[in-house]
Amino acid sequence: MITLARNRLDFRFAEVHGDAGCGISFQRTLRIPDDENDYPLPPGLGRFPLRHLDDFAGRVPETWVKRGGVIMPMHQAEAMWLSFGGGYGHYPCAVKVATGKIDAVTGKSWVEQLNGDPQDYLVLPEQPWLDGYCVEEGVIRQFIAMPLGEGYSAEEQITGKAEHGGLQIIVYPMKAERYEEMRKRFRTISSAFDMAGAFEGTRISQGSEDMGLAPGGRMRQQIYDDPFGLDAWDQDHFSRCFVTIANSTVWAAITGERPPTTPPTAADYTRAGLPWFDYYGGDAKALRGAEVLAKLKTVSETGARKGDMPLPENEPVDVERIVSLRGRRSQVVRETEF
Amino acid sequence: MTHFGDHLRQRREALRKTDRRYSLRQVAQRVGIEPAYLSKIERGDLQPPSEATTLRLAGELGEDPDVLLAMAGKVSSDLQAIIRKRPKLFADLLRQLKQAPDHAILTVVREVRDGDW
Repeated sequence: MITLARNRLDFRFAEVHGDAGCGISFQRTLRIPDDENDYPLPPGLGRFPLRHLDDFAGRVPETWVKRGGVIMPMHQAEAMWLSFGGGYGHYPCAVKVATGKIDAVTGKSWVEQLNGDPQDYLVLPEQPWLDGYCVEEGVIRQFIAMPLGEGYSAEEQITGKAEHGGLQIIVYPMKAERYEEMRKRFRTISSAFDMAGAFEGTRISQGSEDMGLAPGGRMRQQIYDDPFGLDAWDQDHFSRCFVTIANSTVWAAITGERPPTTPPTAADYTRAGLPWFDYYGGDAKALRGAEVLAKLKTVSETGARKGDMPLPENEPVDVERIVSLRGRRSQVVRETEF
Repeated sequence: MTHFGDHLRQRREALRKTDRRYSLRQVAQRVGIEPAYLSKIERGDLQPPSEATTLRLAGELGEDPDVLLAMAGKVSSDLQAIIRKRPKLFADLLRQLKQAPDHAILTVVREVRDGDW
């Protein structure tokens, strides 16, 4: 089952094991420049708000209601990363993440089951976060929100259609017996502003309101190889969630809540002397990245072809202050709210 | 509240074994309190700190905020606000669920509905 607490999706599999589960939240962050430089990890600037889509069923398009799940606001051209862990941090889980039903690790169309060749999922808790599409070994391209239907999203570039948008997540827990074996072996440690009234009863029409994710700048981040093997995962038990992304104006109209402010630019943040991050996952092996994702046009490339300037403030940034993170507690540090 | 202090110290020391940033001084600094104050809390010489400080400690040490607040003998202010808004309903609900096993309580929590996609 999935519950929503403090803007985090909590996945629990009590039917598999009392400890089985994980938490997933979405962090606001800087948009790294969309150029050919490789950037370190930008900070987390706090969680994006998440709400049950059902709470606004009368105000959103029927296609959104049909998907269920949750709704999240993003500004156009805003970046985001997925943060894993919290609450149920110790139990291993396999997680598939797709944008517009395109797998963010392999670039293939969405299928529910896990595949090992090529691996199309992430392994928690080894993988502390995911910032974008896995384009090469040790490099991702940052997730950037763009309006669906304008040709920027990974979905539109790969399928030629602007059908789904948003983010899709499915989580499988480790088989209980594998977890227990592992535990014995390693003796693991223990344990608004009031706009709502004005829009009462009006259902927004679907169209430009739907947001999709598109590839942005290059960032150094490894997506780790599964050290347990496909057989470790309990594929009879899973929970999945569709995260609808609404642009900020639509979010305000639907929920009556003010969306988070626009993050600072990468240049302003860096000028203020604030830190970027690097993460070392020890000896863990990294996936090679997907060719189909590497070939995608970035937001600035698509913009240039269309004669648009979709990314303001896209100048390269000289990053000087980089904090190296190691181990599980890195999560807390990178998510510090500034 | 020795229990709270003990727990805090054990957790911090466990983290310090692999990461020096979890020394008493550095944790206190990141949480925004004096090291001497944190030391007294850990020893049980002083009462647990304010809700805001407890929440920062929970974040810093990777603890569940509600569990750490409960150990400090507190209930978070957002939960208090929920009860104050509909006191009869929530008081009845909590009393009825007092003895219920965890799995029964989980059946009344609200699930994120999965649809057709």
